[in-house]
Amino acid sequence: MPDNANQNEPESGLRTLWLRAQAGDEAAYREALLLIASRLRGFLRHRMQSAPDDVEDLVQETLLALHLQRGTYERSLPIGAWVVAIARHKLVDLWRRRGRRDALHETLDDVDEALLVAEHEEGGTRRDLEKLLLALPVAQRQAIWLTKVDGLSVAEAAARTGASPSAIKVQVHRGMKRLADMVKD
Amino acid sequence: MKTEQLIDLLARGAGPAQPALVARRLGPAACAGVLASAAIALGGIGPVPAAMVGAAALWIKLAYGGAMALAAAWLAGRLARPAAPAGAAAAGVLLVVGGMALVGTANLLGMPAAERLPALLGRSWASCPWFVVGLSLPALATALWALRGLAPTRPRLAGFAAGLFAGALGALGYALACREISPAFVAVWYTVGIGITALLGAALGPRVLRW
Repeated sequence: MPDNANQNEPESGLRTLWLRAQAGDEAAYREALLLIASRLRGFLRHRMQSAPDDVEDLVQETLLALHLQRGTYERSLPIGAWVVAIARHKLVDLWRRRGRRDALHETLDDVDEALLVAEHEEGGTRRDLEKLLLALPVAQRQAIWLTKVDGLSVAEAAARTGASPSAIKVQVHRGMKRLADMVKD
Repeated sequence: MKTEQLIDLLARGAGPAQPALVARRLGPAACAGVLASAAIALGGIGPVPAAMVGAAALWIKLAYGGAMALAAAWLAGRLARPAAPAGAAAAGVLLVVGGMALVGTANLLGMPAAERLPALLGRSWASCPWFVVGLSLPALATALWALRGLAPTRPRLAGFAAGLFAGALGALGYALACREISPAFVAVWYTVGIGITALLGAALGPRVLRW
């Protein structure tokens, strides 16, 4: 078992990273998402004791949602609270899809997020996002692959495909949204 | 795909977060909603007589609808953000309702007692709320659509706010066709119409606002 006691990053460290990420710092964004993922894992493991195999899938689903909803974050919100609210929403949605009526009335206790233990070790997922990516419509898949896997800039990807740069951005966004919809069983 | 790979995917080429996202969704929803309401009211019912255009009644209705739309938009914007406090915005809505109630009450008190009830009921008290609701429906659709693209984590409340917003926009359109002149009438029956739309929004919220 990893020693979790010293691995809680202070809220201010994550907040600094997140604010830089919001401004466009991709390296900071990556670091922030890694930190958030390990906290999410701990948070969700605690609440999904009856479905431990689904934890990592929900971590991924929540990260996708955080990414798509970055525009709803504002500086006055504590990062932990914003993330937890989204995670809870996704968890409730999962229980609803699974038909767990009883879980909807479960009082989600207000655990202080600062006390949550970070869990760095990833669990296995049921679902393979890579397969889902390949199942996207061609334009969306191509735009995502070129910019996010091959690491081309938007301009380079536009040149490669013959589409306009703004069309590339639109296809990436649509593709990520479609991916977020597809992960709901 | 391992989560760390997903994170690489998300971060690469991510750029900055979209600025003013909430306003960019609610703004067009408001425009489309109020235009639809005005068009249907003017086309379906007909504009108010010219004599009313300069009189206070029309402007009081527009001011109420406008203030309520702003307060409701603020509330909806709060509820569209996960973990954002919405108490102040809710108080804003109550202030607008209360303010209009004060105006209506003052107006009633300024009349002889025998005239008060007829003024309050006007000629169309039973139909007015339903006109407001009907004219709000396009705005309710656009407002719910706008919220669906955001992140409402309290869907019933968010739906309620969308309904308040839509109701206010419906009331704005109705004001262009409504012949009633008593502020007390507006304070009661326009509010009932807006309230019904809000309840409709609250009922639809949990079903429609999934993301």
